[in-house]
Amino acid sequence: MSFGSLFFLIQEAFFNIRRNGLMSLAALGTVTVALTVLGASLWTAYRINEVAQDEPKTFNEVDVFMSRRATRAQTLDVINGVKKLPNVGSVRLVTKETAWAEMQRREPKLTQAMDTNPLPDKLEVEAVDPSHMDPLVRRLGRKAEFPDVADVTAASQEVKMLLGLARLVKAVGLAAAAGLFVATLFIVHNTIRLTVFARRREIKIMQLVGATPGFIRFPLLLEGVFHGVVGAGIAGALVLYGGHEVARFIHEINTPLVGDVPSRLGPVELVAGLVAIGALVGLVGSHFAMRRFLKQV
Amino acid sequence: MIDLQDVTVSYRDNTLALSHVSLSVKKGEFVFVVGPTGAGKSTFLKLLYREERPTSGRVVVAGEDLNAIALNAIPFFRRKLGIVFQDFGLLPSKTVYENVAFALRVIGMPRQEIRRKVPVALEMVGMSHRPDAFPGQLSGGEQQRVAIARALVNEPPILLADEPTGNLDPDTSTGIVELLSHINQTGTTIVVATHDTAIVDRMQKRVLGFERGSLVRDEQDAAYRLRIPEMPDAPESVIALPDMDTGERDAMFTPPSTANVPIGEAAC
Repeated sequence: MSFGSLFFLIQEAFFNIRRNGLMSLAALGTVTVALTVLGASLWTAYRINEVAQDEPKTFNEVDVFMSRRATRAQTLDVINGVKKLPNVGSVRLVTKETAWAEMQRREPKLTQAMDTNPLPDKLEVEAVDPSHMDPLVRRLGRKAEFPDVADVTAASQEVKMLLGLARLVKAVGLAAAAGLFVATLFIVHNTIRLTVFARRREIKIMQLVGATPGFIRFPLLLEGVFHGVVGAGIAGALVLYGGHEVARFIHEINTPLVGDVPSRLGPVELVAGLVAIGALVGLVGSHFAMRRFLKQV
Repeated sequence: MIDLQDVTVSYRDNTLALSHVSLSVKKGEFVFVVGPTGAGKSTFLKLLYREERPTSGRVVVAGEDLNAIALNAIPFFRRKLGIVFQDFGLLPSKTVYENVAFALRVIGMPRQEIRRKVPVALEMVGMSHRPDAFPGQLSGGEQQRVAIARALVNEPPILLADEPTGNLDPDTSTGIVELLSHINQTGTTIVVATHDTAIVDRMQKRVLGFERGSLVRDEQDAAYRLRIPEMPDAPESVIALPDMDTGERDAMFTPPSTANVPIGEAAC
């Protein structure tokens, strides 16, 4: 194919997109919606998996709450005792005064209604190996060894839950993503088939004046890819915006489940990935959409 | 240039579109194909541009054996043909110039060649004064001229026209046929399927008459209606034809007093 022909075909593809404005818009809208759903699902599954894998590192922490009657000296004794235990990396004391000040800052209305500080001292114990949290938690909870400890909470339960959820999301997410990919392909295929159907007269003329199937196919494939790429670009922007809003919401509710785990997948990679999927979907969809029409040689 | 040997076309529902048709058209001939609706005219033309394939028999057009032609060779074969339709087949979003150039662009012709050839084709059909007009801004006759220019621009040896005057008034039709005749004089073989009695009568060219898929008439320098010799002693003259029942025969061949009934109308 000469450069002149290639230029003509590219020109034809964009001319057709502009000329069939409404149809192109419909195709673009459909592709955008389908890819937004697909992209959001994949992104969610990826993020949950990422957070779940990352969390054991940040959740290898045990919170040890002292009895409210415990004196500071007793608390320091406990700290010394805990430091000697196996699998203990570090121990950090959060005094009841510090915790109260933080609570006053966060919940001014609630704290104003309270006469006294109800909070106990807290020790944040960091384990060396997060996969062996249970023995440490059990040891810290032993009344005989630490009588001034009122309660012990570990993130291990949350980690377990999160890992379980991640496994579930991975399995269900992959199946759902595959299903959504096929559904997206089907939607795009049908949409492009409509645009091809609207152009059957032009295709017929091209066939009768001796255009080769490849020459007829190229601008239509290009149109499919264009719809896929632009739709994916818009979908990528929507997913990024949605992801940002969800992250903001999670940060606001301050859930311990999802910390600020940085994603290995940046916005550029996300959009590029979606655009690649969009291009593939547009290419495959338009290829199958026009097969029937081009068979009628 | 065109050669059909014992060609039969039948569809899946066993409809017989063409039955045992044999004929040949020489280079530079002008041929009218006549007959009522459903007689097989369009199927005959479709065979020639390989839109249809024969169920049996052999079709050779412009040196190509269409029974044996490979699928990927069909586009290249079609470049040897110019095809004109009743509905013009112009792309409404392209100008006159672009419509004609389109036929050359899709076969990958260099831009310089296109710039040279399109004005010549438009000049030939008398449309060089409106290259920038869109089809919707043209009359039916003008649109058909543009369609002919598109069919001719690649200088094909054969031009096929399916009812080229079907949507045109008599005066415009005459102009189109005169244009086809002019093109024929340059050496292009022309095959025109038509219902238009007046243009066939006026041109007095070779006429192929189809009836229910059979070629029932092949006459040189003929009119639309079949000429039957004066036979005063035999007013119920009947000419025996193979494979025709009495009804068809009566429709095609009537006594001289009623012989003016056109074939197409007689079969309706």
